[in-house]
Amino acid sequence: MTLVQPLLAATIIFAGGLAGAWLLRRAWRERSDKMRWRASGWAVIAGSVIWPAWLVDGARGLFFAATLIPLAALVLIASGYTLRPARAARKAREGLAPEPAERSPSSWRTILRWSLAGPVGMIAAMAVGISYVVWAPGEAQTRLLIGGLIVPVAWGGAMAWTLADSRILRATAVLVGTALLGFGAAVLRGFA
Amino acid sequence: MTRKDKSTRFPSPDLVRAVLKGHSGLGIAFAAILYLVCLTGTVAVFLNEFQRWENPDLPRMESFSGEAAQAAYLAAMARSRAPVEHVFVRMPQDDRPWPMVRIDAEDGQRTTWAADADGRLVPMRQGWTEFLARLHINLHLPQSWGIFIVGLTGVALLSSLISGLLAHPRIFRDAFHLRLGGARRLQEADLHNRIGVWALPFHVTVSLTGALLGLSAIIIGALGLAVFQGDTAKVYALFTPPHPVEDVRPAAPIDLRPAFAKIARQVPDGRIRYLAIEHPEEQGAAVMFEMEDGSSRLTNADTYAFDRAGTLYYVQKAANNNVGQQILGSLGLLHFGWFGGGTIKIAYALLGLGLTYLAAGGVNIWLARRRDKGRAAPGWERVWAATVWGQPLALCGAAFAALFTRSITIPIWAWGAISLATLGMAGILAVTTISRSLRLATGMALVALAAAHFMIFGAGDGMALVVDGGLVLTGLFLLATLAGSLSLSGRKALLG
Repeated sequence: MTLVQPLLAATIIFAGGLAGAWLLRRAWRERSDKMRWRASGWAVIAGSVIWPAWLVDGARGLFFAATLIPLAALVLIASGYTLRPARAARKAREGLAPEPAERSPSSWRTILRWSLAGPVGMIAAMAVGISYVVWAPGEAQTRLLIGGLIVPVAWGGAMAWTLADSRILRATAVLVGTALLGFGAAVLRGFA
Repeated sequence: MTRKDKSTRFPSPDLVRAVLKGHSGLGIAFAAILYLVCLTGTVAVFLNEFQRWENPDLPRMESFSGEAAQAAYLAAMARSRAPVEHVFVRMPQDDRPWPMVRIDAEDGQRTTWAADADGRLVPMRQGWTEFLARLHINLHLPQSWGIFIVGLTGVALLSSLISGLLAHPRIFRDAFHLRLGGARRLQEADLHNRIGVWALPFHVTVSLTGALLGLSAIIIGALGLAVFQGDTAKVYALFTPPHPVEDVRPAAPIDLRPAFAKIARQVPDGRIRYLAIEHPEEQGAAVMFEMEDGSSRLTNADTYAFDRAGTLYYVQKAANNNVGQQILGSLGLLHFGWFGGGTIKIAYALLGLGLTYLAAGGVNIWLARRRDKGRAAPGWERVWAATVWGQPLALCGAAFAALFTRSITIPIWAWGAISLATLGMAGILAVTTISRSLRLATGMALVALAAAHFMIFGAGDGMALVVDGGLVLTGLFLLATLAGSLSLSGRKALLG
């Protein structure tokens, strides 16, 4: 790979990201005919992902795009910032996003909730990842790596869910059940 | 078209409020570690550049001969006080133009040198880069615990991304809003949400790869326990070249030259990235070459392994790697942004700074919300300001200390002392004073660091000058934000 190829690809992707984000912002600002601008925006972004990926190899190009398109969009957003006067503060505060739920304080529920988000969630996520490794078809290394990637995603999902769900016993039952089923299935089959 | 009823809309207001509660709790629980890991990760993108900055006088070269590699590895072996288990020779590369030799002794000691073109060992400075890498990877805690905690932080970050998306019902309505000034909470929320949503592919990439790298030992342990009767070596064996026949009888150090000669015949245009020598003083010694195959694939390293007699006994071509091997080979590159040269590194640093801001801004939103509701937490506001603005200064102090020593211990102490001192400020100073004084101190320290480095080491390497320039610009930017915030306060006073 020469030095020119990645630089050229980076320039094209960044320019495509800027153009795509600009078209999407136009759609966002318009009162009518949003669809045309929105479709054009996504088409430009898709193009900026696909053809530079071909220029610098599939996976490498894809991650070039995953890095540079968000950066281009953030540059565009930063360029369009608005400055609010201090007296708008009170009004703005009133129009803010919803407040977090209030829960009645209970130490055993708090301990259980964090146990579910932490160790129990980790064991359940491991069970899902490992049962994927032993049951899924394909090369051993591929199953291991995909199973490994499943673990943090499943654990993160379990964490988000258990910290939000107020029905804590349901979450406990699901996570414990998942762990038992997953590990049981893995031990039953073994690694082939 | 009729508007959807509020109760049937996804996500429902109750779900949003519940998820927001979890998002907020998780962010606060991991706030300081998340912030530190993101901040050090952002700086660590330039680890190779910093290594050149620390060593501007090292001999530079484009290639390193087999004869020189042999001489360097034998010299390194001779300096080890304990039997050597492995030796790694890393060849010169574009962003680190000198070879490095590392020995791993049986007593756990690891020592690294650079080498000149004839294979003579040259001591190298690694105080700052080693300090930075270890702080990011294991927080300078005992290795296995530290790596696990950082991996867990990656999971918490992934979880926050999931809950953050679910807790953001105005994701499309506010997609391009960036309202600065006015209510602080609105400004922080706009920045938090825009950076969080638009840079999501980057956030997912670094948190997922980081979590997997951090949790790999525990995942492999669980896998070994569940399906290999506790034998984790069987899991590792799936990814590493096989060893030649086990033969632990002592022998003279393995001669690398026959393997170099064969590899030159086998792959005349190949570029060696590094070689790993296994048990060099045993009859069953082996040497493994990792060679670039010349393609632009993300994982483009072929593996060739030779036994003591110089017989090629294993070849793995990158072109034949399966998906799992490709993922494994790209994890580190994707995590640190080392897959696309300087442009991608700069983009990673900017987006990394955004991720660092997410960690810091999330707590600011929580604190502002408490203040709005009449439940202000002034103590926590001061502690958080001291943490956020104290860490850049502490890192700067560690880099300063590393200018005067090759040891990693002094930078660790410098970082620890400055971290404690800045936290101590929370006990006596107001939030604005903490924030402004630490920004001022960091800005000035960065400029002073660049000046001191230039005076001590000179301009032997252009990259060192670029890094010094970058430090000065960052310092001046920090000082400018200070001036900016002062003028913004003046403007706010006028407006309102």
